[in-house]
Amino acid sequence: MKPVIALTKGRLEKQFLDYYQSLGYDIAPLTDKGRKLRVDTDDFQFIFAKGPDVATYVQYGIADLGIVGGDILAEFQPDVFDLFPLPFGACRMAVATEAGKVWSNGKKRIASKYTGVTKAFYKEKGESVDIIKLEGSVELAPILGLADAIVDIVETGNTLKENGLVVEEEFMQFSARLIANRSALKIKREALKSVIAKLNPNGGNTHD
Amino acid sequence: MFLPDGSQDQIGKILLKKQHVYQIFNDVAVSRGFKAIETPVIEYADTFTNPHIGMPFQQLLKWFDREGEIEVLRPDWTTAIARALMKLNPKESKWFYQGSVFTQDKDGIESRQAGIEMIRTAPNEGEIETLCFAIDYLSAVDVSDYVIELGHTGIYETIIAPLTLTVEKEAKLRLAMHDKRQDVVKDLTEKNPRVQKQLLDLIDAYGDVSILERYKATYQADETIVTIVNELIQLVNVLKQLGIDKTIVDLGRVKQLPYYSGTMFTGYLTTSGEECFSGGRYDKLYQQFNQSISAIGLAFDVDVLASAVEMDERGRVAILASVDTHVLAELKRRTISGKIVDILYTEPNISDYEQIIDLRNEGTK
Repeated sequence: MKPVIALTKGRLEKQFLDYYQSLGYDIAPLTDKGRKLRVDTDDFQFIFAKGPDVATYVQYGIADLGIVGGDILAEFQPDVFDLFPLPFGACRMAVATEAGKVWSNGKKRIASKYTGVTKAFYKEKGESVDIIKLEGSVELAPILGLADAIVDIVETGNTLKENGLVVEEEFMQFSARLIANRSALKIKREALKSVIAKLNPNGGNTHD
Repeated sequence: MFLPDGSQDQIGKILLKKQHVYQIFNDVAVSRGFKAIETPVIEYADTFTNPHIGMPFQQLLKWFDREGEIEVLRPDWTTAIARALMKLNPKESKWFYQGSVFTQDKDGIESRQAGIEMIRTAPNEGEIETLCFAIDYLSAVDVSDYVIELGHTGIYETIIAPLTLTVEKEAKLRLAMHDKRQDVVKDLTEKNPRVQKQLLDLIDAYGDVSILERYKATYQADETIVTIVNELIQLVNVLKQLGIDKTIVDLGRVKQLPYYSGTMFTGYLTTSGEECFSGGRYDKLYQQFNQSISAIGLAFDVDVLASAVEMDERGRVAILASVDTHVLAELKRRTISGKIVDILYTEPNISDYEQIIDLRNEGTK
């Protein structure tokens, strides 16, 4: 059976395909897939899913390898091998709020998609906050008065700027990463090792 | 009515398979001279969360008792048995157990295990006997598609010995090794390029047993590592002599619980990739009782094995009877062995049975 690789749909997908092509792989079947969520190439079977689901498919061994954002791994902490960063998908985790925001002395309300990361960040700072879980367009929350600030990933900062928000503090840096199922990496090592070595921007070890 | 997440009712074939897996385990353990032990399902949380054991508190299923102490459902057999053996202080050294453990980290709360514990065995004796047990048992349940992985806590620990890490950083490094995160291991060891290089190589030291010879050559000046590698080579040879040709190693595997101290082994089913057993040496386990006792053990995942075993379906026989001939039918039933025998008053679907015996009119003759 061909090894299965789970890809994060959307923004990371395009960046991955460019990178994958630059390594000498044929990406035609992956770009001409239409709406199919499962595509076979000569070497692998690819499945397309949302970031957190990529992690889940790899954890449960449905996929052997996965390409997923480091932000997703920090938030969901799946039980997988988290091998190495890939040279795309760079972003930072940041606290952002309205420009000129005057903080009250009370407990802050923070809106985020990344409630786990947010909680860990404020816990380490020793500051108690209330966290509101949002699913998207998090920038709305401070503008509309739902929260004092947001915790979200920032790539270029354009979305923040256009919505009148500024970065208050940056605290984590991420990129896309290669993850592997805990047993597949070992029992399918022969089938997986060449693609893992190729994907590794540092070349990986060459002794076997 | 609903069940909590992860709880399940069990019926039919899978339940029979679990009983079969337990039964054979019992037979194999008893015939190899192991003695049965069972600890209670309810214990104090501290037995498992104290610094010697270090199970994460969040994983336990817990509540307060009347005195305000925190009690838990048994999350781990090994720790509970160590506590029991310290109290009972028996002279035997070979123990086996079977039953459920309860944690919140797996996709089910309850999982079933069958395992062995050996204390006060000579170095290597325990490892060899434990692996022999595993092979013997898997063959008895007719599971042959598996691969055994060997590891050892000592290689990583010897390599990081020159580092002066804070407890916090040491935990981070261990986690990064556990997750095989190359970039984090690199960052945490940048002050010592030699160790950095060794650890990055160690992350990748998994797969074919030929890695052992390579490590022996690379670390020939390091007596501790050479001894460990020789021990692992010896185990690979033992497995080979028992007909297990495909053994793998992961020298970069680190312990997840603080009391592990030596060889670690894992069995994977090759078809599904699931872990069917795991275990290792934990001589530090008894330090919490101020005792120096060697200990080694192994636990099989009964749920994983039950889904992997094939059981012969027994043939079905129907005896047709009436109120008057029911006793006659019952006497007939006792003469039929190895079959499922139904006594029926009405004619069944013929295709459900391999034989139908009609005794309805027997008494009237």
